[in-house]
Amino acid sequence: MKGPQSMSLSCHELPVAAYLDRDLTIDEERTVERHLDGCAACRALVSDLRTVRGAAFTLDRREPPADLLARVQARLAAEPAPARRGLAWPNTPAAWATWLAAAATLVIATMMGVWPLWRPAPELPVAPPTGAALVESVEADLRAAETHYDRAIDGLQQIARSDSGELDPQVAAVLQKNLQVVDQAIDESRAALRTEPTSVPAQDGLFEAMRTKVALLQQTVELINEMRKGNQAEAGRLMQDLSR
Amino acid sequence: MPSSKLSGDVRRSDVEWAAQVAAGDTAAFEALYRQHAGRLFNLASRMSGSANAEDVLQEVFLLAYRKIGSYRGESSLGTWLYRLAMNHCLDVVRSRQSRMAQVTDSFDEPEAAPPAAPGPPLGTVSRIDLERAIEELPPACRAAFLLHDVEGFGHGEVAAILGISDGTSKSQVHKARLRIRQYLGGR
Repeated sequence: MKGPQSMSLSCHELPVAAYLDRDLTIDEERTVERHLDGCAACRALVSDLRTVRGAAFTLDRREPPADLLARVQARLAAEPAPARRGLAWPNTPAAWATWLAAAATLVIATMMGVWPLWRPAPELPVAPPTGAALVESVEADLRAAETHYDRAIDGLQQIARSDSGELDPQVAAVLQKNLQVVDQAIDESRAALRTEPTSVPAQDGLFEAMRTKVALLQQTVELINEMRKGNQAEAGRLMQDLSR
Repeated sequence: MPSSKLSGDVRRSDVEWAAQVAAGDTAAFEALYRQHAGRLFNLASRMSGSANAEDVLQEVFLLAYRKIGSYRGESSLGTWLYRLAMNHCLDVVRSRQSRMAQVTDSFDEPEAAPPAAPGPPLGTVSRIDLERAIEELPPACRAAFLLHDVEGFGHGEVAAILGISDGTSKSQVHKARLRIRQYLGGR
């Protein structure tokens, strides 16, 4: 823009956007206002643009559906945590067993290696880790993994229950039956783990059953989504899968 | 203007927050969703259409989860998320436009603003007409307008989100207002 001493600006020189956004000095604003006083076209332009800006700011706020977070979480449940991909965080029962065994071995090996070098002050004796402490640590990891699955299952169940009316009754019945079988397997594995917390087959069984349940519920939500979109071909394919 | 929550000395806590999400902390992810989902949903529905907004928002948060390991704190976590969202929205819109063989616009080549012309004042603008006028804007121009005039971000924040200069943000928003005026006034 020309300096504040410039008494006249042509319409093309008028810094309308900067004027509207209060991006000018007081002197520059006065120069613009002098032009507006004598120019009906620019006055109308500024007034209209103010109207547009004001109307835009008062547009209604739209809210995402309440279950959208659960749907996102359900899809995320099928993915490994991003930061852990490079470390190959276990995602199969066998991998869990291997990982836990490796972790336990590493802890024991580290403690055995470091312990002879450790010179605790006599007044602060440090007890070496015991087998019970290791088991506790492994159990904590298992509980964390179980919680992860539980949250995913809760989210999916919430969606599946609220929208299950849209399912074909026959498909819904098959799905219900499959879920009962899976729930029974989960209960049995949990009972076995209560008796023998470090049992690898019981751990494998529990995670396998939970994964199956997540997969079943994910397919159900996917089916409901495809039915809503009116995608009959994809819905038919998913129904066939679920009915098996 | 509403607080954008994108500025301030929050980088360290943002980096920690991102690290928690990256480590699979579901509470941290949920907090990220709850803080930004409403505004992102508004943007998504006006950028890519109400019918696509849910799908777009889901994809944005899935993308955020997958890519959060790449967040280094160069900008606030909010700016990073909005940038990712707007890029995704622009991809969706441009892909749809290219299928329909329409000409797309660009932030790099701002076109000349329509000239001012005298005419009756706009008066009261109905929300429906304004929504239609916004839909008619070229995508890049619409993105800048939505962020600045509808959502209340400053030009510096709009520039950071869209990866453009402050000046380009200002010219895109002005161009959008002029086009909307033209559409509403039929001039």
